[in-house]
Amino acid sequence: MRFLARRLGFYLLTAWAAITLNFLIPRLMPGDPVELLVARMKGNVEPEAIDAMRRAFGISDASLWQQYLDYLGNLARGELGRSITFFPTEVSTVIADSLPWTVGLVGVATLISYLIGTSLGVLMAWRRGTWLDGVLPAATFMHAVPYFWVALALVFVFGVTLQWFPVSRAYGLDVMPGMTGEFAASVLYHAALPAVTIVIASMADRILGMRNVMVTTLGEDYVVMAEAKGLTSRRVMWAYAARNAILPNITSFALSLGFVVGGSVLTEIVFSYPGIGSMLLKGVENEDFPLMQGIFLVISLAVLVANFLADLAYVVLDPRTRQESE
Amino acid sequence: MIRPPVKRLVAVFAALALAGCSGGGNGGSGGGENAPPLIIHAVDSGTFQEDFNPYHLEGVNFGTSGMIHETLMYFNKLKPGEITPWLALKHEWSDKGKSVTFTLRQGVKWTDGKPFTADDVAFTFKMLKDNPELNRNALEIADAEALAPDKVRIDFEKTSYAKLFNIAGNSPIVPKHLWEKQKDPVTFTNTKPVGTGPYTLSKFSAQLYELVKNPDYWQPGKPEVPVLRFPAYTANAVQTALQQGEVDWAGAFVPDIQKIYVQGKPEQNKFFFPPEGVVTLLPNLTHPILSKPEVRQAINLAIDRDKIVRVAERGYTKVAHPTGVPMPGGEAYVPPEYKDAAFKMDLAKAKELLKGVDPAELKFTLLVPSPFTDWVNAAQLIREDLAKIGITVDTRGVAFQDWVSKVGKGNYELSIRATAAGPTPYYQMRSMLFGGLAEPVGESATGNYQRWKDAETDRLIEEYAATEDEAEQQKATQGLGKIMVEKLPTLPLFYSPSWSQYRTNKYVGWPSEQDPYAIPSPYTSPDAAVVLLRLKPAAK
Repeated sequence: MRFLARRLGFYLLTAWAAITLNFLIPRLMPGDPVELLVARMKGNVEPEAIDAMRRAFGISDASLWQQYLDYLGNLARGELGRSITFFPTEVSTVIADSLPWTVGLVGVATLISYLIGTSLGVLMAWRRGTWLDGVLPAATFMHAVPYFWVALALVFVFGVTLQWFPVSRAYGLDVMPGMTGEFAASVLYHAALPAVTIVIASMADRILGMRNVMVTTLGEDYVVMAEAKGLTSRRVMWAYAARNAILPNITSFALSLGFVVGGSVLTEIVFSYPGIGSMLLKGVENEDFPLMQGIFLVISLAVLVANFLADLAYVVLDPRTRQESE
Repeated sequence: MIRPPVKRLVAVFAALALAGCSGGGNGGSGGGENAPPLIIHAVDSGTFQEDFNPYHLEGVNFGTSGMIHETLMYFNKLKPGEITPWLALKHEWSDKGKSVTFTLRQGVKWTDGKPFTADDVAFTFKMLKDNPELNRNALEIADAEALAPDKVRIDFEKTSYAKLFNIAGNSPIVPKHLWEKQKDPVTFTNTKPVGTGPYTLSKFSAQLYELVKNPDYWQPGKPEVPVLRFPAYTANAVQTALQQGEVDWAGAFVPDIQKIYVQGKPEQNKFFFPPEGVVTLLPNLTHPILSKPEVRQAINLAIDRDKIVRVAERGYTKVAHPTGVPMPGGEAYVPPEYKDAAFKMDLAKAKELLKGVDPAELKFTLLVPSPFTDWVNAAQLIREDLAKIGITVDTRGVAFQDWVSKVGKGNYELSIRATAAGPTPYYQMRSMLFGGLAEPVGESATGNYQRWKDAETDRLIEEYAATEDEAEQQKATQGLGKIMVEKLPTLPLFYSPSWSQYRTNKYVGWPSEQDPYAIPSPYTSPDAAVVLLRLKPAAK
C-alpha cells in the first residue's frame, strides 16, 4: 500500500509539471493567433477590427502569472475554454469529437500490432532457424524507414493504383453518421488501410522484444523440466515459456496505450483522418493556445494513467515489486 | 400489429413530400430537379464544425455568407466600380458621409416564410455596434433605424464613404425575429440558418454538408443548380480528388495543373486565376540603406519579374503593373501617363544608381515564410538578380508564425508579402501605404509593414475617403499609383492569384477572362453565390 501511495504522490507532482508546461510551451511560440488569422484571411478583415477580435478570442494582455492563475482556475472547474481555430466551439467539444476516431483507429491498430507481434515473437524464438527468421529483418526494415514513406507507398499502391481502399477521411461521403450497419461498414473500410500502416510500422518492436526475452526464458530450467515431462510443445511454448516472457511486453503495451491518445499525427495527416492528431496540427499551425493546451492536457494525463496502470500490472504480476522495505 | 399503419403513414408522407418537390420544380426554368448536384471544395479542412454564423471568421462553414445570408449590394472586385443592387435597390448618403439610407427590395422572404424588412437590416447593424467582437469590418456605427418597411438609415461616428463595400457588400443580413432571441450572438452558432439567399442547409455532418435550393428565392427561376455538396478535404486529399474528378469546383493550389487536373481536356477541365491582390517586395524603410530611394530604384531595375512568374509561380499569374493595381479591370484607377507602363530591367542604370553607396553596406536579409514554396523560389531568383548589381542578399526561410510576427513588428530587412485588392484599388493602396497603419518598429502593425510615411500619400487617402464621387475617388487613387511608380514605397512583383478550378461537364456559365463577372474562387463570398446564380446545366 505504501508503494502505491508513493507512486500516487509522484504522479500528482508529474501532472502538475505537465499542466504547467502545457501552459508555457505554446506561449513561447513567436507571434499571436490573431495576427496569424489576419495574415491567413488575406484582407478579409479590416485592420482596425483586430482589437475586437482579440477580445472575442479571449486573448488578454494580462501578465503571464495572471494568465497562469486563470488557467489553473478554469482547469479546476473543468473548463478548457473556446478554440480559436474553430471559434466559438469549446475545446472540450473539439476533443470529444476527435478523440473517439483516434482511440478507435490507433487503439485497435496498437492492439492488433501487439497481438500479432507478440505471437510472431514467440513463434520465432521457438522455431529458430526456419523461414520465420526472415520476418524480423523485413519488419525491422518497415520500422526503420520513415513512417510516412510506408504510408504513402501503401496509399499509392492500394489506394490510387489498385483503388481497393479509400485513401482519405473516416467514412464515405454517401453515408450519414449514425447507428447503422452501413455507417459502421464504411468506418471499418476506411480504417483498414491506415490501421495496416500502423501495424506494419510498429510491429518490429514487439517481435524483437518478445523474441529476445523468449529466447532467454527457453533456457530456463522449468522449460527443460516441462519438456522432460513430455508436455506437448504447444503447451510448453505458450503456457510455460511465453507466459513468463511476456512481462516486459505488458509494460511496454501499457505505456504505448498512453500514447494512443496522442494519436498518430502522421497517420492522420496522410489519411486525412479526423482524429486528435489532425486537430493538434491545426492548433499548432494557428497558435490556438486553448486547443493546444487542451489536447496536451489530455495526452499527458493519458500517459500518466497508462504509466500508473503499468505500475499496477507489475505489482499484480511480479511479487518482487511488493517486497521492499517492510 | 401497430407497425403496418405507421409504415403506410410514412409512405403517404413520402409521397406528399415528393409531390411537393416536383411542384416546386415546375416553377423553375429548365434544369429543375433532374440537374446533378455540384460538388464544391472551398477551404482545406479535415472536418467541419456546425457553425453557420456569418460573422464568425474561420469556424463558419463556407456558403453561409452569400448562399444563405445575403448582403445589401454586390461589388465585383474584378471590375472595380461595378456594383449590383442586391437586397438593397439603392443607397443615398447624407450628413457628409456620416449617414446612409438604403431602399430595400420588396417581396423578399426569409426561408421560414417571414418577410424581409428594414427591421432586419437595422437589427443586423445594431448587433454589430453592440458586439464589437463580430464587427470584423470595423464599422463605426452610431445607430441604425428602420424608417419604413423598405427604408433603413445607418449612422456612423465618422465619414464612411470609403466603407460602402464593408457596409453593403460585406455585411450579411440576419433575421431579427430569430436572432433577437439569442443571448450572445458572439458565440451563437446558427445551426439552423434562416436566410434570404438562394440556398438552405439540408444536411450536416463533420465530413459533409449539403445546401439545397430555396424554392421561393426572389430571383425567379434561380438557382438552376438544385443541390450543393461540400465534402471536407485536407490540402493533400483535394489533389487526389481533383485528379479523380470527384470535385466540380475547387479553389486549390495545384502544383502541376496540366497533369493533375486538366489531363488533356482543356475545354472541360478549366481554370481561371484572376488577381485578388498584389505580392510586393517589402523594403524595411526604417533601415538606413533601404530608406534611400536610389537603392530601391536599383533593386527595382535589377529584378527579372518575368522569370519569377515563369519559374517560381509556374506561369499561374502575371507580372504586376508598376502601380500594383490589378489589371485588367483597374484601368480607371491608374494615372493616365502610366497606363501602359511595365517593369523593365536595366542593370547598367541600376549599377549607376548605386555608385554613391558603400558596397559593404549593400547586404540584406530577405525573410520569407518557408511553407510558401513559390515565394521561397522567388526569393532565390531575387538573390541571383541582385547579386548582378553588387547587392548581397541572404534569403532566410522561417516558420509562418515567425514570419508574420517579424514582418508585423518590422524586424526584417527585405520580405515578400501579399496585399488584398479589395473592391477598388484604394483598399489595397491604403493597406500598403497609409501612414496611420505604420507602427514603430517592435510593435505589431496591421498594414504598411515597410513603414512608409509620406504626407502626400496620407492626404490622397483622406481625399478618397472624404468623397462619394467616383471620379474624385479615382483621381485620388491615381495619385497613389503615381507615388507607387515614382517613389517605390514597396516594389510590386506579381499578382496574387485567386485559385479556381471548374469543370464544365455538369454546368456552364462560369466567370472567365472574357466575362469576369465575379471572382471565380469558391472560397470568396458573396462572389461564389453570384457565380452559382449564373450557372446553367450543360447541354447534353
